[in-house]
Amino acid sequence: MRGATIARALSEDQFAALVDALAADPKRRGDLISLLREDHPHYAERGAAAIVRMRGWVLLAVARGEVPENALIFILEELDTGVDPYLVAAAARALRSYPHPTAALAPFVMRALGNIRYRDEPVSFANYGEYAISATHTSAVGELLATLRWLGPRARGILPELEPLRAPNGGLSRKLRLDVDRALQAIRVPAPADEPATASCCGTPPNGARSMSSWPSDSRRGAKQTESITLQDHKGELITFKEYFHGQPSIVVFFYTRCDNPLKCSLTVTKLARVQKLLEERGLVDRIRTAAITYDPAFDLPQRLRVYGQDRGVRMDAGHRMLRVIEENENEVLRRHFELGVNFVGSLVNRHRIEVYILDAEGRIALCLERLSWDEEQVVTRTIEMLKEKECGSGRQA
Amino acid sequence: MATRRKVARKAATRGQKAAATAPIQVAENLKDVRDLLKVLRDTGKPIEVRMAALQSLGAAAFSVPNFNSLHADYIGALREVATDSHEELRRRVFGILTRNKDGYAQKKLLDGLKDPAKALLPPEKALQLLGNDVHAGAYAAARTILNKPPNDDAKREALRLLAGDAKSTPLLEKVLRDKKELRENRQLAASALHSLNPDKLQAQARKILLDKSDYADIKATSLTALEQFGDDGSLSKDKTLLQSVNRLKNTKISAKYKQTARRFLSKYSP
Repeated sequence: MRGATIARALSEDQFAALVDALAADPKRRGDLISLLREDHPHYAERGAAAIVRMRGWVLLAVARGEVPENALIFILEELDTGVDPYLVAAAARALRSYPHPTAALAPFVMRALGNIRYRDEPVSFANYGEYAISATHTSAVGELLATLRWLGPRARGILPELEPLRAPNGGLSRKLRLDVDRALQAIRVPAPADEPATASCCGTPPNGARSMSSWPSDSRRGAKQTESITLQDHKGELITFKEYFHGQPSIVVFFYTRCDNPLKCSLTVTKLARVQKLLEERGLVDRIRTAAITYDPAFDLPQRLRVYGQDRGVRMDAGHRMLRVIEENENEVLRRHFELGVNFVGSLVNRHRIEVYILDAEGRIALCLERLSWDEEQVVTRTIEMLKEKECGSGRQA
Repeated sequence: MATRRKVARKAATRGQKAAATAPIQVAENLKDVRDLLKVLRDTGKPIEVRMAALQSLGAAAFSVPNFNSLHADYIGALREVATDSHEELRRRVFGILTRNKDGYAQKKLLDGLKDPAKALLPPEKALQLLGNDVHAGAYAAARTILNKPPNDDAKREALRLLAGDAKSTPLLEKVLRDKKELRENRQLAASALHSLNPDKLQAQARKILLDKSDYADIKATSLTALEQFGDDGSLSKDKTLLQSVNRLKNTKISAKYKQTARRFLSKYSP
């Protein structure tokens, strides 16, 4: 779907009709799932609220049948980092159509409850684009509690986090506290004999929950087309992609300063600062480069990059830079090279995923972590492997 | 005319009486909040009473413990009241909802900007409130209004909103250079350019300073922009501009403007 162009922008009603048609045709399930990609052309030039309505409708359409493995990651992403009640509610409802409930799903649902409980809203799934105006409708928290009920004993690992929500001052209404009680009852029932209840928090993640992709040295995409791209750093200095990313492995994150989801860009750049500290502790800060590249180079001028990095404790020097692409056409080349999960209204981002890359010493993508929250230690460990690969002079599978 | 005045007086008295008989309740607990939500939704209640309920709810959102447990009800009630027949109530409710980046409110306001028959608020207010969220997708509507403004206020709010839209840089440059444009709008355009593309502002400010027919206050704004944020390297080599600013000292301009010119020259003169 990437790179596909749509000759004519659909109205939201036309989009909803398309989604309904795709959902009704089992042979076009793949096309329906592809609508969950942020970079899908249908999402271009729309405001964030329109994207919420559209993606929410796709999630609900996916849930009309069994949720396939390749759709699971999009649902978990929404539960992991979503802050819009409609999308979180739709994701919670969609998860209940996944045919293989496991203990590994429970922490995502619990995390979503933590993210959304103080900003809960009534939501309506009856018609496309409908906004609820009455508390008799369902809500994000209501849907998440229903999903915990659905998980039943598999969610036993999150009981210590769920139980405090019964308290009258726990931020939930009386009605939702009754839902908490119902969820607790469902979780506490004895597990079926063939499926032991899991008291640990995680269990084995389903295949569809994998957020990491890696490529062995001999199958990494060349970075030829990106080598000449001119980047500008937080001090206004210019450097080409090749000059910066060749010679040493690098950790690259994408972000933009106007992102209003605290669980995405702000957290990503804060985590990058933590990665830099881990590199310092291991004495690798001069042997592994880091970069935070903005999705929104027209607005994110050097001064904004510098302040945004400073505010989040980012080390900024010759080997650790906040970067922007100056030329729009080169920005497009960069987006294609990294296959970035992002879309725009004008030059402003309207939706994006979390994405972290590890580049080898030739500037080729060796590993990509996307959509779900990532672990700084894991990124450092994998980059050290890349450093060893460089030193051994031979590629090995990441 | 006298009859109309009488009717207006009667209506005002009715409103005052209603307000007097319905003291503004200070919510202390969740039961009070639920009662206030009922009053706000009740179209049978006098508007003054409902407005007072809205005000109390705003305070309760900060002061009542565990207010968040009723957040969904609060948002639902605000959305319902957003289409009320009373404009001032709508205005206040849209203010609260848009500060919350509410998709429903944004959609209603954008629909109203595209089709005035659907407008729940005047375009200038709609633009101002949409400015609470850069992701509202209002830039296209603001550009349309800037090109064909229904009134001066709407044009001004469109300019304010577009200060976050990098694609509007050419439009903002045009407004800044247009001598027929209102001065306030030209200054807004300069401020927007400073945020979006300081290099473009510097180039335009230079042109304005060299333009003998432009207005003194706009020149003063341009000179201040260059003096505060100009590029040291290029300005200190710009003999034409330095001479032009030097000449200002001998013309009839305000003392403040002369002072800025002096600071500019001391900063950039070789």
